[in-house]
Amino acid sequence: MNTVWLIARREFRVRTLSKASLISSGIMIAIIVIGSLIAKPFLAGDDEPGVVQVDTATAGELVPYLDAAAEAQDAPYVFEEVEAPAEPAIAEDTVGLVVGPADAPTLYLDGGDETLTGVVQAATQQFALTATVEDLGGDPGKVATALAGAVASVEMLGDDAGEFDSGAFFAGFAVIFILFFVLIQSSSVIMMGVVEEKSSRVVEILLATVRPATLLGGKVLGVGLYALVQAAAMVVPAVFATWYLGLLEQFEIPLGPLLSNLAVWFVLGFAIFTVFFGGLAALVSRQEDIGAVSTPMMLLMMVPLYLSIYLVPNNPDGAATAVLTQVPFFAPFMVPMRAAFGTIAGWEIALAIGICLATIPLLTWIAGRVYAGAVLNTGGRMKFRDALARG
Amino acid sequence: MPDLRIDHLTKTYGDLKALDDVSFTVRGGELFGFVGSNGAGKTTTMRIILGVLRADSGSVTWNDAPLDLEARRRIGYMPEERGLYPRMKVGEQLVYLARLHGLSAADAAHAMEHWTEVLGVAERRDTEVEKLSLGNQQRVQLASALVHGPEVLVLDEPFSGLDPVAVEVMSGVLREQAARGVPVIFSSHQLELVERLCDRVGIVRAGRMVAQGTIDELRATERPVWEIAGSLRVGWADAVAGSVTEVTPGVWRVEAADADAAHTALASAVQAGTVTSFAPVRPSLTELFQGVVSEEVAA
Repeated sequence: MNTVWLIARREFRVRTLSKASLISSGIMIAIIVIGSLIAKPFLAGDDEPGVVQVDTATAGELVPYLDAAAEAQDAPYVFEEVEAPAEPAIAEDTVGLVVGPADAPTLYLDGGDETLTGVVQAATQQFALTATVEDLGGDPGKVATALAGAVASVEMLGDDAGEFDSGAFFAGFAVIFILFFVLIQSSSVIMMGVVEEKSSRVVEILLATVRPATLLGGKVLGVGLYALVQAAAMVVPAVFATWYLGLLEQFEIPLGPLLSNLAVWFVLGFAIFTVFFGGLAALVSRQEDIGAVSTPMMLLMMVPLYLSIYLVPNNPDGAATAVLTQVPFFAPFMVPMRAAFGTIAGWEIALAIGICLATIPLLTWIAGRVYAGAVLNTGGRMKFRDALARG
Repeated sequence: MPDLRIDHLTKTYGDLKALDDVSFTVRGGELFGFVGSNGAGKTTTMRIILGVLRADSGSVTWNDAPLDLEARRRIGYMPEERGLYPRMKVGEQLVYLARLHGLSAADAAHAMEHWTEVLGVAERRDTEVEKLSLGNQQRVQLASALVHGPEVLVLDEPFSGLDPVAVEVMSGVLREQAARGVPVIFSSHQLELVERLCDRVGIVRAGRMVAQGTIDELRATERPVWEIAGSLRVGWADAVAGSVTEVTPGVWRVEAADADAAHTALASAVQAGTVTSFAPVRPSLTELFQGVVSEEVAA
């Protein structure tokens, strides 16, 4: 165990402290953070309440209604009393001007502003309503309460009940895309590491003192920790960015389940993909030949990724979706996506995790055997079956 | 004694019989030279000793016990194709390898400092291996075989590519290790060096051990040959029993069954002129080796 840890620590240090890794992580973090800082004014630029000027003649009567209407519509406007100029004009740093009688004012705008128009319209109507109710000898407060209580409830019927949920899609997509990126990156790192040891022949010295399985295990563990740091370097700024930009509130995404999904399937996906491909990488001897192993790897990850993105939103309850959820190489992508859409039963998640856990030892065994059989073979590419037989 | 015993190793690659019943023993404190043409089976034998390869049959024992993984960690190994992480610093790399062999962090650091000092690469501790000259990489490779204080040394071509100074350093280190009681086995094509350095030698040919023993044992021939040099009358040898051949002008080789027969030949020579030298001919390792190789060609 101590040896596994030694190997893992070397891998982790070499990878994490490599210039390329530091630079790429740094750039990634900088892009996300700086990007969100720059994007903020554009996305949420109306945070500063717009100032609307109201002519003194109208202000006393209308402003309370304007304030109430603005609040009801969640539109942040500040209404400021001014002596309206003879020639109506929008003053600097303001967005509109209201002039005229409270029951029929004129709103001057510089360009369309539907929200403000709605607010002024509602305020005017409310003012007129109140005035009328009072004229009729009624209680405006009672009318307001009655109006507030009269709300129609809405229920969807038919197939279109679950309309396309862009928030869920965004969330699910983000999770499986990060997973995909991290898995493909760490599989590549492990494969390159295996081939590096092979081509530099250092593996011969190592295998004289450690077992092949220990060496591969330490490698996977070390690169796993490295990938975790890398993923954190992406996820943490990304979560910061969504929070800072207020995207979370817009989509109402359950962040907790999302991240726990990411964590569980990171570990399982990592064990499934990287161990397997680490073993296969031993089949080649030179960095130039690595494509022979990495191409199938890309396919084995991209197909599940695309199918998850395509199948889950379009056919959440389909047979293909249900079946693929239980296939080890697909599960890491299918389950988080379906979970984001809320279309997966608890037992399905449990079963998918169970099947993956049962498959991992088998894949590890195959990978370890192929690795042991092929890792000292130099020269050309070795056949999978030969390596398995020799291991 | 901590002997390293290789018993009846056999290894086949497809149709090629890489090793065919190879057996030999390297005693504790002994320098064992392993010679043979390229592809004769030296590297395969060493890899099997290290457990990097599995033999089809046969066994390797050390201290009369099978050489398992735990025991193998006590071996210092220098593979034929040098193997170090190209982009790792010399010091870090040696410490890492020492720790893989079970040394504590402090012991590993200490050993790294010691061996880089002894092998003259102390100033290169913070240099990445790929930036070193080949000779220095070789020194680091030897350091990596020694850094964990091994109790057995298995070195595949440790001298190849070394300059004369480095050869002396390497020879000195190997002698010291043997003096500590470590069985040392190394392969080399530099036969004079093997002859000078080794207590015993094994010659392999096409996967078989064809000769082994001390240099003297190997040199001993069934029919001793003597060499006589001088200015002698033509035809002096006609009177001598046994075969006499003039190898170069003024130098004759006499095959004599024993010392008496040799003396008789010498007496004839003395009567035939002036003898400047008379000595037994002992084939050098190079000659022995060439004999073996020519047999190989003939076969």
